[in-house]
Amino acid sequence: MGKVARQVVEQAGVNVDVLLDKLLRAAGAEFTTFYYYTILRVNAIGFDGEGLKEIIEDARIEDRNHFEALTPRIYELGGALPRDIRGFADIAGCPDAYLPQNPRDMKAMLNVLVEAERCAVRTYTEICNMTFGKDHRTFELALAILHEEIEHEAWFSEYLGEGPSGHFRRGAPGDSPYVKRFMTADFK
Amino acid sequence: MAFRKLARVEDVPPGRTKFLHADGKPVILANFEGRIYATFGLCPHRNNPLEGATMWDNLIDCPFHHFQYDVTTGENYFPENVYPKDYNRLQAQLRPLKTYAVELRNGEVWVDLE
Repeated sequence: MGKVARQVVEQAGVNVDVLLDKLLRAAGAEFTTFYYYTILRVNAIGFDGEGLKEIIEDARIEDRNHFEALTPRIYELGGALPRDIRGFADIAGCPDAYLPQNPRDMKAMLNVLVEAERCAVRTYTEICNMTFGKDHRTFELALAILHEEIEHEAWFSEYLGEGPSGHFRRGAPGDSPYVKRFMTADFK
Repeated sequence: MAFRKLARVEDVPPGRTKFLHADGKPVILANFEGRIYATFGLCPHRNNPLEGATMWDNLIDCPFHHFQYDVTTGENYFPENVYPKDYNRLQAQLRPLKTYAVELRNGEVWVDLE
């Protein structure tokens, strides 16, 4: 834990226990989403060639990156990941992104994906609102994740025919253009 | 019918919620497009309080797991719209929020908690 790092956040008026609860739920949602998106990706067979599979893969790896980037901040503020992964899954801040009853139903799969991203957008908007001007480090991190979650929503929304995303593909799967500066292990 | 006064209208602005207890019962008031609705104050998913819940159009959003309910009917919207129907354990998580009748009387919000 960073003693002063936590103290300055408290003194700025943030309830750090509430913030930690939100960060843990967010990390839990990223971790479980990584798992469920793995199942969705392997089942996205023949949807627009391999196009949808590739986009799910981008979102899947970037969600894992979000978990990786959130974890150090949780410990800096005096929190910890649950010792039991079952407990971690239970506190995840968004519903599980289950494979649809009919895995061949592309629209059903896209609805699962877009709703998961919308939940993430709401989650990080809440954290940004809570930390803006008070906890600069958490704010910057949450904002970086929010940028990527908004892009993910736009990708799947585009596939649902809701309008253009305005984006082009990542250079490589899971590139995390906004979050990678917070990651020390996977990116050079 | 046992209506009781729970708030003033201005305590629940459009697009906002107000969490409170009445006779020990958690209740949440929500203003959707100028009309105030009242529902039970615990999310049926895990019985977490809906204190601080946000509104997205007609949907109230639980701050713990982001389950969403239509305040006009109490029915779950999300994740009901994406959960697989063949997984019984999940369907049990989608119970509706109990709704209460609301009357506005001279700028006050009266709710029938029966």
